[in-house]
Amino acid sequence: MEHCLLLPVFFPILAGVLLLLKRDFKERRSLLVYTGAVLVLGGAFAFFAVMVPADGVTLFYLTKEFPIFFELDTLGRFFSVTVTLVWVLAGFFSFEYMKHEKNEKRYYGVYLIVFGVLLGLDFAGNLITLYLFYELMTLTSLPLVLHTQSREAVMAGLRYLFFSFAGAYMALFGIYFICHFGTTLRFTAGGVIPAGALAEHKTLFLVVAFLMILGFGVKAGMFPLHAWLPAAHPVAPGPASAALSGVIVKGGVLAVIRVVYQMIGVDFLRGTWVQTVWMTLALITVFMGSMLAFGEPALKKRLAYSTVSQLSYILFGLSVMQGEAVTGALLHVAAHAFIKVALFLCAAAIIYRTGCTRVDELRGIGRGMPVTLWCYTIVSLGLIGIPPASGFVSKWLLASGSLASGIPVFSWLGPAVLLVSALLTAGYLLPVTMKGFFPGEGYDASRFTGKEPPLIMLVPLLVFAALTVLIGLLPNGLTDSLYTYAVHLLTLEV
Amino acid sequence: MNAFYLFLAVLVPFVGGALNPLIPWKKRRHMLWYLEGLVTLNSVLVWMLLLHRPLEKFTLVNFTGNLAIAFQLDGLGTVFAGLISFLWPLATLYAFEYMTKEKHEKTFFMFYTFTYGVTLGIALADNFLTMYCFYEMLTLVTLPLVMHTLTREAILASRKYLYYSIGGAAFAFIGMIFVITYGETSDFLLGGVMNAAKLSEGRNLFLLIYVFSFFGFGVKAAVCPFNSWLPQAGVAPTPVTALLHAVAVVKSGAFAIMRLTFYCFGADFLRGTWAQYLVMGAVLVTILYGSSMALKETHLKRRLAYSTVSNLSYILFGVTVMTPAGFAAGICHMVFHAFMKICSFFCAGAVMHQSERHYIHQLDGFARQMPKVFAVFTAASFALMGVPGLCGFVSKWNLADAAIASGNVMAYAGVGALLVSALLTAMYMLGIVVRAYFPKADFDYGTVADVRDPNWMMLAPLLVFVVCIVGFGVCSVPFTELFAAVARGGF
Repeated sequence: MEHCLLLPVFFPILAGVLLLLKRDFKERRSLLVYTGAVLVLGGAFAFFAVMVPADGVTLFYLTKEFPIFFELDTLGRFFSVTVTLVWVLAGFFSFEYMKHEKNEKRYYGVYLIVFGVLLGLDFAGNLITLYLFYELMTLTSLPLVLHTQSREAVMAGLRYLFFSFAGAYMALFGIYFICHFGTTLRFTAGGVIPAGALAEHKTLFLVVAFLMILGFGVKAGMFPLHAWLPAAHPVAPGPASAALSGVIVKGGVLAVIRVVYQMIGVDFLRGTWVQTVWMTLALITVFMGSMLAFGEPALKKRLAYSTVSQLSYILFGLSVMQGEAVTGALLHVAAHAFIKVALFLCAAAIIYRTGCTRVDELRGIGRGMPVTLWCYTIVSLGLIGIPPASGFVSKWLLASGSLASGIPVFSWLGPAVLLVSALLTAGYLLPVTMKGFFPGEGYDASRFTGKEPPLIMLVPLLVFAALTVLIGLLPNGLTDSLYTYAVHLLTLEV
Repeated sequence: MNAFYLFLAVLVPFVGGALNPLIPWKKRRHMLWYLEGLVTLNSVLVWMLLLHRPLEKFTLVNFTGNLAIAFQLDGLGTVFAGLISFLWPLATLYAFEYMTKEKHEKTFFMFYTFTYGVTLGIALADNFLTMYCFYEMLTLVTLPLVMHTLTREAILASRKYLYYSIGGAAFAFIGMIFVITYGETSDFLLGGVMNAAKLSEGRNLFLLIYVFSFFGFGVKAAVCPFNSWLPQAGVAPTPVTALLHAVAVVKSGAFAIMRLTFYCFGADFLRGTWAQYLVMGAVLVTILYGSSMALKETHLKRRLAYSTVSNLSYILFGVTVMTPAGFAAGICHMVFHAFMKICSFFCAGAVMHQSERHYIHQLDGFARQMPKVFAVFTAASFALMGVPGLCGFVSKWNLADAAIASGNVMAYAGVGALLVSALLTAMYMLGIVVRAYFPKADFDYGTVADVRDPNWMMLAPLLVFVVCIVGFGVCSVPFTELFAAVARGGF
């Protein structure tokens, strides 16, 4: 049974590679059928793997001691469900959107490969496997950023590459040390490095932990290595921006959790300068991202800055190292994924139908695209943190966890920054809704008439909006299991 | 097998190469079959020797006392000879297609084949004197290859190559005198041959001599500050740059340093001394210097040459850690880098051969025209960057692991340098890949319409190399164990 873990990883990758190698389809329809079938099948395999309990499976030995090894734990299950939902739905959205882009075949091929790679990242059962798929994630998602081949896209792509690899190699520096001193590379709550080694090389391991947080934090857009994100995400085609900003950034979060909670161990880090600096950086990023988003006139870029800010909510929750805060962070992973994908898909739908890219061009858009704008509004409320949408629950947990942590200054500074940032979030998201639905007396919004996108674009939007509300209304099942897992990660007594 | 065959393996390329210009070939193709057959046969001979290793040595000339020209086959020699003899037939095949556009083929192939013998001579040398003789000879037989095009640039480059190499060899000569005088035996012996009493007596003097000869051999291995000859020598035809300036010549330098460090002076004597810190410092500087210069360089082959500069110092970094694990990692990178770099050079050569373009900014949109070559080039780039699952990752992993295990703080910094260099590698290699696959949106494919993938003689070696790159990466364990055994002396 354990080989069912390999299927969702390698099936989309192989299907994608085949698609890239194949000659062009005669009809566009065949391309879509192929891609759709692979997405649905891949998704089904992923759900099957998540549902069926299986042992880990070793693929091959990369070096003498370290195998490429897949295993699913709660965290992996949680992330892979999120990834699958987003990837399949955004994939269907692209069927319509990509009509107005070139090189469709390449896009879908890469899109499928990245799907498999992301599942591989979630299924990774040890640090080396995680690192392998982390690097592959960067390399395979690069063509999505470069897709339009404009000068801007190429520059953004190279920047993406530079930052991502800078981060990956910082992390690799740490991995070398963990592999040398650690007892195992399997993810183990509480860490794998013997207490003796930790005590003997305290400074070394603090530096290692810091570099790894900073390095993997690059993918999550953490200050000071965030500059690639607002450049790279908006230049991709719409659905790809959504996927990049919604789930690929979460790869960084996953890696940080794996390293901090399951490799080095929180007990070692709690109260050290690493924790303090990490919290500081996260809070700076939260605030800075929101401010930059507030001042950004282009919608997609504004959303990218918003990602910078929101991802650091998650990182802040993780840096507090307290049960509720970690629960909030984990919940925000899913909540933010659905919300941000929905927002980017809205932006993509607007660009596709009207060609408008700047926020001030969207005045009166609610007249012509009411469903799109309603979805936009609902998920915006979620991102701001207004009940009953999902963001409220996760932010509540983040704030209350932070307050309960008892860390000097940060226990109240954190919630305060989160609150200010929530205000800014409202400030940068809601004007679109307000101007869109209420363009003002006598404003001629007829240019938007009948611009509502077709069903294949609307359905993913509606699903994400519904998921946002659903998580907000009925969070308890999810938060309870996440809390149990957070307690396990923190190796606390229940 | 009889040890005489060791000498035969060195001799055959000389005789066969020397005959080449004398034979009046009716068709060019006949020359190919002759050379390819000769080289392949010799490689088969070498591999048979490797598999049935002669235990005794073969003494060709015994000058006086312990001065002799002699051949033997130990672990390190096995690895190097195996590497060389695997690559040579493939490179000859490639060279034959590449040289259709160049003149003076007969002489070119004569020297090209000579070099095979000389490099094998270095690999199979039993003592310092033999290695030194072949080392000097290597400079002389490769000089005409660098000069081959006879342009002003080529002559300047070869002159520089000559001065640097001869100068380096002179410093290495000092080391040889000391090793022969104060060594208990003149043969290579893992762990060192120096007289312990003499060593402790003149410790600093010996360290100084070690440093001299390290940098002397380091000229060929392109250690800072003696590396400017290598990028300049890129004017030579690509088969020369690829095989000689990425593998045979430069790795002979690294090989000689391994012999010097582990088989003459002994790592135990050197570890923890100022000499170790000095040479390791130079090596780390070279790693960063090479990568940075590669990023700055816009000429395709010169960029790869700078990349070689940096990667050679990866090997030497392993050596300067001066532990068996570091030594093993150095050998590992020596072998794996050979495949990655010859592969990327051959891709560059294919591009130049098919399109006459030499600069990176001219490569827009090439991936669509030369899909096979660029697929291979991409794989080689990923391997050089150290993407897990390809061979580059394994050797860097071993280097870093050895550095950490040594507990030497400077080696920790070395791990950092490796990673910074890896980042630069990612940028300078993928910069090319991105350009080839993703030209600007308004790019006109008409300008590259006549560019095509080359024929099978160029593609076949590329295919073999890419299979090796993936194969080494996926099942690295037997290889790393072999290298570890060599480094421990258990082979």
